[in-house]
Amino acid sequence: MTPETVGIVGIAALLFLFLIKVPIAFAMAIVGFVGFAWLGDIDPALSVLSQDLFDTFSSYPLSVIPMFILMGSFAYASGISERLFTATYNWVGHLRGGLTIATVLACAGFAAICGSTAATAATMGRIALPEMKKYKYDDTLATGTVAAAGTLGILIPPSTVFIVYGILVEESIGKLFVAGIVPGIILSLMFVAVVVIVCGRNPALGPPGPASTWREKLNATKGIIEAVILFILAIGGLMLGWFSPTQAGAIGAAGAIVIGLARRKLTWKNFVEAGKDGLLTSCMVLFIIAGAIVFGHFMAVSKIPFLLADWVGSLPIPKLAIVGVILFIYFLGGFFMDSMALIVVTIPIFFPVVQKLGFDPIWFGVMIVLLGEMGVITPPVGVNVFVIKGIAPEVPLHLIFKGIFPFLYALILLATAVLFFPQIATWLPSLVKY
Amino acid sequence: MLEKLDRFNETVSRWAASIGFAAVVFMVILTSLDVAGSKLFLLPVPGSLDMVMLAQLIGISFAAAMTLRQDRHVSVDFFVMLLPKRPRAVIDLVVQALCLGLFLIITWRLFDHGYYLQTGEERTPTAAIPMAPFAYAAALAMVPVCLVLLQQLLSAILRVARNDP
Repeated sequence: MTPETVGIVGIAALLFLFLIKVPIAFAMAIVGFVGFAWLGDIDPALSVLSQDLFDTFSSYPLSVIPMFILMGSFAYASGISERLFTATYNWVGHLRGGLTIATVLACAGFAAICGSTAATAATMGRIALPEMKKYKYDDTLATGTVAAAGTLGILIPPSTVFIVYGILVEESIGKLFVAGIVPGIILSLMFVAVVVIVCGRNPALGPPGPASTWREKLNATKGIIEAVILFILAIGGLMLGWFSPTQAGAIGAAGAIVIGLARRKLTWKNFVEAGKDGLLTSCMVLFIIAGAIVFGHFMAVSKIPFLLADWVGSLPIPKLAIVGVILFIYFLGGFFMDSMALIVVTIPIFFPVVQKLGFDPIWFGVMIVLLGEMGVITPPVGVNVFVIKGIAPEVPLHLIFKGIFPFLYALILLATAVLFFPQIATWLPSLVKY
Repeated sequence: MLEKLDRFNETVSRWAASIGFAAVVFMVILTSLDVAGSKLFLLPVPGSLDMVMLAQLIGISFAAAMTLRQDRHVSVDFFVMLLPKRPRAVIDLVVQALCLGLFLIITWRLFDHGYYLQTGEERTPTAAIPMAPFAYAAALAMVPVCLVLLQQLLSAILRVARNDP
């Protein structure tokens, strides 16, 4: 068999292993190892397997991942998420659909210190859903809002998906973070608009809550000052070039611990639980990356990505149509796979094509993050929807999926806008000089 | 028998995760001290990058068993769940066998990698910390992963054999 044929068989085998529910990280390592051994020899394949695992786990650039994941875990344990929700609720809770608007804004705020969609949805779901239940909000609207707004976690910096993408394509993580800000703000406002429209059509879905006094509003706002400082320090420091990404994450994590201690919210038990939770998430992510690196080595010796890039580059169709097809594959893939895993699996194959066509890697990163956001709320594998189902088991799954649709339209609208107007994503990073 | 192995695995995984937790907390504290030292007093912690690298190796390796036990690894679950119970149990058996095979190779090769680093007297770039003990530790941390996978494989075999998934 030619290397190209082995590569194609390898991709088919990978899809088969995914189908029979082999964890994605292990499936990529198995196929990568067997494929590399097939095309070369067993000894180099054995060396590649252990060397890639050792190098990934002991990689300093990758230490940014546990740092930012721990920042989000400690921020939750320090009660920052609760105070964010209280503040936004005090400002907009009296409006029609006010609690859902507050949830969207609180999710956007929490996304600024946490880089995961599931963590953002879980954190805000635990706080917002009981409140919405108390004020007799419609279950479909309430659960759909939290699941959808949770997706802001990977668009607004810090973002674990941007970090992993940046490492895989050797692009500046700082610039990717900056690129997520404008689309993140626009998407948050679009989600608010969705709530306003839905509740405007049927006010019974989100009855207004009691109005807060100015004193209550200002007191609640004081409660989020430290979250703003934490964001400015960690993300601002990274953007200004004061810190490396790992240092920014460490400062963010340490800052969240200090806030928790100062607020007397962080007990030893909370600290250990949050830290271990962050550690297990980091372990899962680094295993996926290690698996992808082994698989990437196999793909490289099979020459598939380079041949694909050459072939696609020579096609007599517009470049935007080609990249549109790639993005559509991401959209479809999102139905079945977690966004992080999808990106890690496909980047070694598709990124050389995108590069060959001359598209901006920052713009492409934002596009696949937007498509990844759609993936975590669409059936059958909508991770955020399952997270919300775990928090609100009494709400049928199909109702939660139904609730995300108005928000999905907003996401599609934004992705289309970024596709045709890349400046939405690339304008702000172009101002960053480092 | 399987219950005993489960209890043993739970204890070992919990201890291993605690070691991993200590390692990542060390990473956060060390990096913060390094930043504060270098930015405020022009006094960075010598060899901090090397120590962060090695702490991450320990942190992630020792968390692997608990990550597996808590089913935190991402997998695609839309096809197998649609199948009847028996084919599902058979597929689970195949999956566990494949994963156990992978981790037995990884464990063996990490010990081998440690030996290679030891004989080559390999050290980290700036602090010159010997790397071999850390590779051996990472290999050791994979043993509980193999035990967890063995337990899951035995459980899958029993489910197939009893025809009672």
